[in-house]
Amino acid sequence: MAKPKAKVDSKKCLSCGGCISVCPQDAISMIGMKALVDEKKCISCAICIRTCPVGAISGEIQK
Amino acid sequence: MKYDVVIIGSGPAGSVTARFASEAGAKVLVVERRAEIGVPVLCGEGISRKIDEWDMLEGDRWIAGKMKGAKIFSPDKTCVTLDADMAGNETGYVVYRDIFDQELARRAMESGAKYMMNTQAIGLIKDKDKIVGVKLRHFDNEFDVKCDIVVGADGVESKVGKWAGFKTTLKPKDLETCCQYTFSNIDNLEEYCEFYLGKEIAPGGYIWVFPKGDGTANVGIGILASLSEAGLAKKLLDDFISNDERLKNAQPLRFLTGAVPVSNPIDSVQDNIILVGDSARQVDPITGGGLTHCLELGKIAGEVIGKAVKEKNFSKDFLMEYQKSWKETIGKKLKRNYMVKEIMLDMEDKTFNMLADSLKDVKFEEISTLGLIKAMVLRHPTLLMKLRPLMKISQETKESDK
Repeated sequence: MAKPKAKVDSKKCLSCGGCISVCPQDAISMIGMKALVDEKKCISCAICIRTCPVGAISGEIQK
Repeated sequence: MKYDVVIIGSGPAGSVTARFASEAGAKVLVVERRAEIGVPVLCGEGISRKIDEWDMLEGDRWIAGKMKGAKIFSPDKTCVTLDADMAGNETGYVVYRDIFDQELARRAMESGAKYMMNTQAIGLIKDKDKIVGVKLRHFDNEFDVKCDIVVGADGVESKVGKWAGFKTTLKPKDLETCCQYTFSNIDNLEEYCEFYLGKEIAPGGYIWVFPKGDGTANVGIGILASLSEAGLAKKLLDDFISNDERLKNAQPLRFLTGAVPVSNPIDSVQDNIILVGDSARQVDPITGGGLTHCLELGKIAGEVIGKAVKEKNFSKDFLMEYQKSWKETIGKKLKRNYMVKEIMLDMEDKTFNMLADSLKDVKFEEISTLGLIKAMVLRHPTLLMKLRPLMKISQETKESDK
């Protein structure tokens, strides 16, 4: 089964950039003041999910 | 389009670098992806009164509150008070960061720096391996700007640092993940910056209350990302707020998130590029404070860039004057405080309680982490064993301060 990839809820993201600074794959960028995960680079480590102060990032299984 | 210097980020580090590089004769462009300088604020907004001596900010529109000192609360709420009328204080003003940043930018603009808003850096332009400019996006329009020096002042997430191959990726144990309310209607607020410690309160960090006048204050939390779970920072902050009587009638004016690097200093110079501010990890690993460093080190960065432009020498060797200068001074303090951070992480809540209890009646001669440590060691000599590597580096720092 595919591993869940990080997904940012853009309604909750307040653009602090914490997730970007801890991502070991440089898979996250700020686009239009919202963090956005590049699924192709994400290795499902969940570091960003645990880091987000407001819980705006969750794991989502790719279809 | 060609500039001598393109600075990515219009925060304090970017604007101060821009000002001093411009004053030294460099043609400077500052690029900001946001629509307004300083907005959204991502900061606790506390700063040392040291800045009074620097002539960086005019007037007082940027000052929200002047503090009488700091109160540090141990996990059992024992309070250690540090008064601000002593030399070397760490807390002095609580500021409006949006006005603060705009004031620094205005000074840079006065000196001739150009600013471009709503403009995001999306990559470096290289000729073979040499950095020769920056790729920018302004709304849907992508274009190149050539320059001799790129300055990464793009904060904790520093994409510029990553593109240039600096080691900017942070380990979770080296990042404080934060959120903060600005409240009004707070009762019985004193003019002290308050810090609350404890593993249950804020694992690997602290909760702060920074008053901003008229019953308003920033109430925020930072916890270590390695000890965090999704949304934990906000949950712990909300728990604290619901248990603080003074905040019973509080109403939110603002809610924000933040991320603060608390790592060791990193390399910040290569051919044709330097990092300054949070991107260079110029932040105190204990307090998470970085504003004064941005001002002090931005000035040095700007001056060195000015010289580089005059001499037409943009090599790593030439720009190294900036790195040497900051690593020899503030860098040493940051390294020392990183060690303190590691030691404090290992300490139990009951140790903090015991320390606070023995320090609560002490009259501190200086408000500094070093002053605190000295007082702790005097009362608890067994701590010396743990702190021995620290004492060595403190001594070195002191000597270099002379």
